[in-house]
Amino acid sequence: MGLRQKITDSQFYRDLVQRRATGALRTYYDVPAADPTRPIMDTEFIALDLETTGLDPKRDEIVSLGWVIIRQLGVDFSSCEHILVRPTKELTESSVVVHRIFDSDVANAPNIKAALELLLPQMAGRVLISHHAPIELGFLGHACKRCFGAPLQIPTVDTLVLGLRDLHRQGQPFKSGALKLDNLRRSHNLPPFRAHNALSDAIAASGLFLAQVSKRDPKGVLELRRVLR
Amino acid sequence: MSIELEEIAEFLKQHHPFDLLPDDVIESLPKRLTARYFRAGTKVLSPEQQCLHLYIIRTGGTETRDPNGQLLARLSEGECFGVRAMFRKGRAANNITTLEDSLCYLLPEKDFHDLAGKYPQFNYFFAQMGGDRLRRGMQMIESRDDDQLKLMSVKVADLIARDLVSIDRSATILDAGKLMCDERVSCLLITQDGDEIAGIITDRDLRNRVIAQARSFDEPVTAIMTDKPISIHPDDYAFDALLTMTRNNIRHLPVLKDGKAVGMITTNNLLARQSLSAVYMAGKISKLNDPADMAKVIAQVPELLSHLIEAGATSQNAGHIVTTLSDAATVRLLQLAEKKLGPPPVPYVWMAGGSQGRQEQTAISDQDNCLILDDAYVEEAHGAYFKALAEFVCDGLNDVGYVFCPGDMMAKTAEWRQPAKVWQNYFNKWIEQPEPKALMLCSVWFDLRPIHGTKSLFDDLHRIIVSRAKDNRIFQAYLVGNAMTHHVPLGFFKNFVMIRGGEHDSTLDLKHNGVVPIVDLARIHALANGVDEVNTFDRLRAVKAFPSISTQGASDLLDAFEFISITRLKHQVRQIRQGHAPDNFLHPESLSAFERTHLKDAFSVIKNLQSALETAFGKSGT
Repeated sequence: MGLRQKITDSQFYRDLVQRRATGALRTYYDVPAADPTRPIMDTEFIALDLETTGLDPKRDEIVSLGWVIIRQLGVDFSSCEHILVRPTKELTESSVVVHRIFDSDVANAPNIKAALELLLPQMAGRVLISHHAPIELGFLGHACKRCFGAPLQIPTVDTLVLGLRDLHRQGQPFKSGALKLDNLRRSHNLPPFRAHNALSDAIAASGLFLAQVSKRDPKGVLELRRVLR
Repeated sequence: MSIELEEIAEFLKQHHPFDLLPDDVIESLPKRLTARYFRAGTKVLSPEQQCLHLYIIRTGGTETRDPNGQLLARLSEGECFGVRAMFRKGRAANNITTLEDSLCYLLPEKDFHDLAGKYPQFNYFFAQMGGDRLRRGMQMIESRDDDQLKLMSVKVADLIARDLVSIDRSATILDAGKLMCDERVSCLLITQDGDEIAGIITDRDLRNRVIAQARSFDEPVTAIMTDKPISIHPDDYAFDALLTMTRNNIRHLPVLKDGKAVGMITTNNLLARQSLSAVYMAGKISKLNDPADMAKVIAQVPELLSHLIEAGATSQNAGHIVTTLSDAATVRLLQLAEKKLGPPPVPYVWMAGGSQGRQEQTAISDQDNCLILDDAYVEEAHGAYFKALAEFVCDGLNDVGYVFCPGDMMAKTAEWRQPAKVWQNYFNKWIEQPEPKALMLCSVWFDLRPIHGTKSLFDDLHRIIVSRAKDNRIFQAYLVGNAMTHHVPLGFFKNFVMIRGGEHDSTLDLKHNGVVPIVDLARIHALANGVDEVNTFDRLRAVKAFPSISTQGASDLLDAFEFISITRLKHQVRQIRQGHAPDNFLHPESLSAFERTHLKDAFSVIKNLQSALETAFGKSGT
């Protein structure tokens, strides 16, 4: 993971994939990526969560997306979005049980390409926040490749990784489940949140991120790279 | 709306004053919010710092300290800070520091003012809390030569009036009720393991949670208690106690030290310290023999009023207390008259009408009074006595400072000094064959309150007024017509319509265009529904239950009445402080933009309810 991630996060890789990108992804790449040396305070973030028909990005599909924008370390609720996505295949029973999103709900929803055309402009120049980012990055990456001919590169903060680092720093053994979104939120005196749709999880992650940053950066000067994954 | 945003709306709905907003408005709020997180010990605001949001605490807690480091308040979940900045063009007034890790929702200044402009109750909450109460607190620190109560300097410990009354959690409701009765207390602490507090019950709980629910008295008291009541520390200031009680709308506050209950303070404790001087003044009046000496005591009423308003009294409190003094003067003058003229040949009762009758007097009041005599009264035999009595008292009141009523609605006028049967005829005529002009003059007689003498003389008359007025639609329609003659000073575009020219150029007449219309509205609804209260607040509270006015309408009017009355009182207090004679004419520029907005809202509440009244009772005069 380590080396591969270093490569995929590099400017070189970004330049490489950018040339193959078409449509909305091309426009996305036209905006320079967030500068990792700028203060977090001056960086804009997009907290994102998605729901899928399963866990395999190659085989399963996205059924909903939720996101919210963070500016100057404030979660801007006016930017909240939640969209359903129409998958190409019929929804499986297990997916319906998990998300309570039915075929009838998504019948008139946009397909993944149209959904990405809404999402990508929101991601341009911003930093992705996600709780356990590999899922989001995997599904979005595959979807981008299918729809726009190139993978997605975006600077990313993983609130689960930040939570893990905090627990390691405390040097105490931690209980199973300690890294769950709700448990991490509770440890920061954040209100319990009622899961689940993609937006509620995205907002929950955004609140956790504010708390994690405030612990690291009381003066508002910390550089973005210190919290990137 | 997403689940998370619904949750924010739910949270807002559970907290005052957002719970006063209509549901659709609350549901539109989350989208306007921003969430910020502050770890414990963060200084969120400091004096004069720009603050363009109202901060609503979602989790955690904060502390408010004035620029000198004096603790003003501790806030927790659901409470707001940055309130004063909203009234100071976005400049923070105090230091706000987080005591715990806190998540806050930030409402933009503009949205705050939009809500405050549209929803008077919402507005009123913050005007009370941030705008005024704190400002008053500051003023009190500043006025050093003032030896009256200083809420900011008196400790809660000094206010604890009596030993604490408590009962163990194993007690039944009956035990608790008996103890409250024996100890003559309105609330009781429930303890466990000795002094540890488990909860609290109040008179209100016995009414709401026991009687109204037909609960058995044998159930444990824990079934009806409020768990873990809000409390205060003996070293906190009386001002904090007042803030806590106002903010949480509670009247009893346990005092806790190291987790143990050491006492209880009530709103009465706080106001009693103010009323003390009023009680003292009333006591003094009752010993004086000369109207000139009484005048010296009554001359202090404006000063008393200033203190009351600064201490946070509501206009209803202030009205009651100030009226107590004119009642005292009236009673004393009657005693002196009887001493001079001998005992009355037939029983009488001295009645107060108008603002004294309603207990709504302010710094300036004239006299409205009348005499109801026993039906054994014979003019030839007894007329001279009561003429002399009435003249003695009315002239005395005039000397004391309650000037003659310009409409001669006084007992010294023969027409208003009559036996009960004549009064009954008067009222029958007014109610059965109303004439607009006559009604306008005699509206003061529909706010009668017995002051001294044989009070039962008024009972029959009172029954007639209440029952006849209730059934007579024509009479009601005439009253409505009269009420409509007092227009609120608002133009088509909700601008103020001010008095032009003359002595009171560019002012608003808060009495005739603000107070009187509400008094009229309250009187009509009360009479039409057989409500026998005369105080405007009491009338409005009582009529809530009747269909002639919506509950919301009555609540809005109560808020509007309090706001206009307190604005008028504050205006008078300001004039008194500046050495001017108090009046009712307010220059709108002397108000903050925020207060102006609120005043316009209060006026539009009146306007709306006047229209609603016309619809409910039919146009009059036709």
